Amino acid sequence: MKLALRDISVRFGGFKAVDGISLAIEPGTLVGIIGPNGAGKSTLFSMVTGFLPHGEGVVSLGEADISRDTPFGRARRGMVRTFQVPREFAHLTVRENLMAAAPGQSGENLIDLFFRPGKVRNEEDAIRREVEETIDFLKLRAVADVSAGRLSGGQKKLLELGRVLMTKPKLILLDEPFAGVNPVLIEELSGHIRALNQRGIGFVIIEHDLSALSRLVSVLHVMDQGKLLASGAPAEVLARKDVREAYLGGAA
Amino acid sequence: MAFWIELLISGLVAGLVIGLSALSITLVFGIARFPNAATGDTMTVGAYGALLGHRATNSLLVGGLTGAIAGAIVGFLGYWFIFRKLAQRSNVALLVASIGLAFVLRAILGVSFGHSQQVFQLPLVRPWRIGDVPVHPNDLVLAGACATILAIVFAILHLTPIGRRMRAVADDPALARVSGISPSSVMTVLWLLAGAVSASAGIVAGIKTVVSPEMGWDLLLPAFAAAIVGGIGSPVGAVVAGLLIGVVQEMATPFVGFTYKIALSFLLMLVVLLVRPRGLFGKLEGAR
Ligand SMILES: Nc1ncnc2c1ncn2[C@@H]1O[C@H](COP(=O)(O)OP(=O)(O)O)[C@@H](O)[C@H]1O
Ligand SMILES: [Mg+2]
Repeated sequence: MKLALRDISVRFGGFKAVDGISLAIEPGTLVGIIGPNGAGKSTLFSMVTGFLPHGEGVVSLGEADISRDTPFGRARRGMVRTFQVPREFAHLTVRENLMAAAPGQSGENLIDLFFRPGKVRNEEDAIRREVEETIDFLKLRAVADVSAGRLSGGQKKLLELGRVLMTKPKLILLDEPFAGVNPVLIEELSGHIRALNQRGIGFVIIEHDLSALSRLVSVLHVMDQGKLLASGAPAEVLARKDVREAYLGGAA
Repeated sequence: MAFWIELLISGLVAGLVIGLSALSITLVFGIARFPNAATGDTMTVGAYGALLGHRATNSLLVGGLTGAIAGAIVGFLGYWFIFRKLAQRSNVALLVASIGLAFVLRAILGVSFGHSQQVFQLPLVRPWRIGDVPVHPNDLVLAGACATILAIVFAILHLTPIGRRMRAVADDPALARVSGISPSSVMTVLWLLAGAVSASAGIVAGIKTVVSPEMGWDLLLPAFAAAIVGGIGSPVGAVVAGLLIGVVQEMATPFVGFTYKIALSFLLMLVVLLVRPRGLFGKLEGAR
């Protein structure tokens, strides 16, 4: 599913956090977004996933204009995000966090719940099998029954990835997945991302770890002060003088 | 001694009423995120519904179900026509809207049934004696019914797909929405459940005392006190605190008199707020 953004702007008061961004994310690609802190990267994710009703511009996914869709509707279309500071359903166990995100649960309808328990049970069994696979895939078995609020930062990042995977996404927006994660886990996460991409899932990744990111993505977009500064292959983009100045505050 | 045990039992029954209404308040507060002042008048709706059902069939079970269904319908209608439209507004706006709904419900009940007090016509049953203590079979039936309702609510919350999603929304509504959790199905079930639970509290109160259009409003403050003492958003806390407040109020009646026993629930609330601001079972702030 192609994600296309046209003239996206987000204002906070008089301040333009995102200022006229247009870009297209081709289906099934691995794309990076970099830029200094405060460039508007996370705000762009919030806008695209429907969290800033006051944002301007057109967001389309595949053929559909989703600019007016609710966050829930956008997630159901297959576009989901993670958060820079990981978020979780703190009082649910890791397993419940994953189960809650699975789509197509007729057990959320009281009539089916009470009058078609067989159907609900079958769905629950299918979801449970999928959750167990995800738990193994992300090596979260040891904490599967722990309340998610108690996980370490790195485990929460894994859980975020697991939760978005459970929604059966076509496009995943990751906000700084490697921040505060140790190098071994970064390698592991990168491996997961590559494997999932091979299954056809597209990724847009905001990240400050440029070396890990460059190894992963085929296209890099650079944001600075709400605007798109550069786009292209990672090596080319990172070699540009204006990018290095924006990113490193003119030190290079 | 028998006197005190009798007070304890009537305190527990009063506590079930407070606990059930506090459970409804805490569910709504945890998931829809505002203090629902219409809880009291939804209790009254339940009591009148049960009264009518009971008169028509002479069966307390049918009466109770009628009342619970009436409460669920009122809960759902309030959501559908009022709270759903205000979902993006501040929780003060929602609170004010719920106060408005409370007045409307009370007015409708007053116009429909008059303001005189009515009672459930139940056959007189001689209390059993356990030692020196008289135990009323009706109290046991009511306690059993309340326990069943609590079991159903907790089973829905912890054992079903919709309950999982309700708890997810309670933890982080925004995360729930981006994770593809439908707010409308969670809210629909929440309000049906909250309405039925409030109504059950009203039914028990009506059976134990009298039914009048003002009864629920009068019971609202102890219910809020219990929801806060238990830790707002904690279903277990609401029930335990309701029982605690019911027992404290009854046991203290010989000392402080009938008029002042209501004040005790607030004293208890103040003490808990001062000593343990998040309530007995409160979720840790900042855990998310
Ligand atoms: N809810 C908000 N209200 C006001 N300003 C905000 C809000 N969210 C972000 N900002 C501001 O918008 C700018 C961009 O923030 P953000 O998108 O988080 O940047 P990045 O993710 O690129 O570091 C920052 O200056 C930030 O302070
Ligand atoms: Mg950011």
